[in-house]
Amino acid sequence: MEHLAPKIEVAGIEFDLAAIMMIVISSLIVFIIARLAVRNLSVENPGKVQNFMEWIVEFVQSIIGQTMDPKKGRPYLALGLTLILYIFVSNMLGLPFSIVTEAHGNHIPSVFGHQLIVTGEHEHLAWSWWKSPTADASMTMALALIVIVLSHVEGIRQNAKHYFKHYVNNPNIVFLPIHLIEVVSKPLTLGLRLFGNIFAGEVMIGVILGMGWIGIPAMLVWQGFSIFVGAIQSFVFTMLTMVYISQSIVHEEDH
Amino acid sequence: MTITWSNFFIQLVAFAILFWLLSRYAFKPLFGVMEKRRQLVQEQMDSAQNNRNDAERLIEEQKQALQQARKEAHDIIEQAKTTGSRQADDIVQAARNESNRIKEDAVRDIEAEKNKAVASLKAQVSGLSVLIASKIIEKQVDEQSQKQLVDQYLQDVGNKS
Repeated sequence: MEHLAPKIEVAGIEFDLAAIMMIVISSLIVFIIARLAVRNLSVENPGKVQNFMEWIVEFVQSIIGQTMDPKKGRPYLALGLTLILYIFVSNMLGLPFSIVTEAHGNHIPSVFGHQLIVTGEHEHLAWSWWKSPTADASMTMALALIVIVLSHVEGIRQNAKHYFKHYVNNPNIVFLPIHLIEVVSKPLTLGLRLFGNIFAGEVMIGVILGMGWIGIPAMLVWQGFSIFVGAIQSFVFTMLTMVYISQSIVHEEDH
Repeated sequence: MTITWSNFFIQLVAFAILFWLLSRYAFKPLFGVMEKRRQLVQEQMDSAQNNRNDAERLIEEQKQALQQARKEAHDIIEQAKTTGSRQADDIVQAARNESNRIKEDAVRDIEAEKNKAVASLKAQVSGLSVLIASKIIEKQVDEQSQKQLVDQYLQDVGNKS
């Protein structure tokens, strides 16, 4: 059973209500967790939540330390933290349950006075309201684009000469097309890897749900695996972010 | 897979807002506290290092002081030993001198006593001999010639003995 995305059209622009809602919810959860962690800050006697948050900070610091000089990487610590928290929370959100509304007969419901858009022919209309924000390519590509644009901007800002030269003399002009392909492929792979992993996980959950009672053990296993995949993907995304930034701000002339 | 452009831009903006909020209200104070803790630990490590250095220096000083005290005690004992043996020598020497002096005194006394005894014997012998002579020879002899006579006899006696 395929679920539609609940979209409405306002002023000629399509809005995916579920996606907007999930973006807001994920951001709120991340922000609330972070605020809870820094509510009772203490230098000598940190609380449990503060310790947990500091552990995450140190984790991201170690990611940065692996890819570049920690001193140069300090400005990207907040970015890495936001990325890893937001992506992890997003990945986890789609796992525990889902909210689906179904249409009665052929009546198409309206939200905020706008009728939901139905594309194509469906024998049974149902809309999914709860899913991971990262299970949508639009959102993961937005995150990937932020990171890639940032890495290029930092490359130009910090080491413009080296940044432009490495396209044409690494090792020589013949490799320019390869560099250009890399420029395009980096954001694609970064965004689509995350999207593919999380989307596949949610599709699989849907398939297992279709199995009925027999699927419960499989569901348990798959949920556990999805948690693992979600954690790994948030780590990978942050890691690659730092790798790309460090590649473009690198100072060695012979790189 | 379809790209919904509204989602794309909403995600861009939402992430930017989330990043700004987190940096402003969560990470800034958290990083501040972590930096403070790092400094605290650094300070404590430094002070521990200083304390250890001080302790080592004090121990070294104590050792030297102990060494000094031992050396002084040794010197004092040595000095006392030499002083003691010198005093013993002095005492023995003094005793020896004293005994010699006493012996000489005794010898001198004996000599003097002997002379005195000889003198008193001489006086008594002269009186006795006058008495004996006057009784034997029954003759009036004046003091002068008497003494001459006795001296002559005593001379004889002295020569014979």
